[in-house]
Amino acid sequence: MGTIPAPLETFSASATDPILAWRTWTLAGSRDLGEVRLLPIAGDGKPWPVRDPARAACRRPPRHHIVPGFGCRCGLHATRAPAPLRRTRDPAVLGTVALWGRVVEHEHGYRGEFGYPQRLRLACYLCFWQWGVPGACEVVARRFGGRMVPLCGPHSELSLRYGFRVGRLLPAHHVEQALLSTYAVDVLRSVVPQR
Amino acid sequence: MDIGAPLRIIEIEPVSLPLPETLPEPERIPDTEPAEPG
Repeated sequence: MGTIPAPLETFSASATDPILAWRTWTLAGSRDLGEVRLLPIAGDGKPWPVRDPARAACRRPPRHHIVPGFGCRCGLHATRAPAPLRRTRDPAVLGTVALWGRVVEHEHGYRGEFGYPQRLRLACYLCFWQWGVPGACEVVARRFGGRMVPLCGPHSELSLRYGFRVGRLLPAHHVEQALLSTYAVDVLRSVVPQR
Repeated sequence: MDIGAPLRIIEIEPVSLPLPETLPEPERIPDTEPAEPG
């Protein structure tokens, strides 16, 4: 009779300090910036709660499994370093996030049960994609539906020249301040570019 | 985003909601003019 392998979930540890990791979000907000919210790049599209932790959920079978499941893809995703985030789709905000509760550690990141942003800054997605740095955003294009697209000066000029529908342009500094104030967090001051 | 293969599970029970890091104290600016040389 062969031996039954121990389930991988037995490789566990406990801790008291939250894990700090990296993450990107999209951004949406009202015209007057009275309501600015972080939204996940993928997933259910629900905004991250303000001054309350975000909590992961999963609809994949088996129903009512523990979230994040070890063999599932559910949970609040974050990476160990900012570099892999360059490949995310149209990020608007780059930052650090605290994860806690049940956390599945991966080779290059984590999936957490609870999370709250720690430091944030607007990111020009074109600068981030090209050079791995979020760029010095000058304007935020507020598009139909409230989606916000931060852009640096050169990329905003390029976008206008090539007919990108920017909608209403807002000063990036005002949007960033509204975001930081909403979530009561500090600005992310520097990101070391990584290849 | 690809975060690779799962390695292990960590159970983290913070005492309270993790508050964002606080900004470092700004450097103190001397409140007196430096003495004139000579």
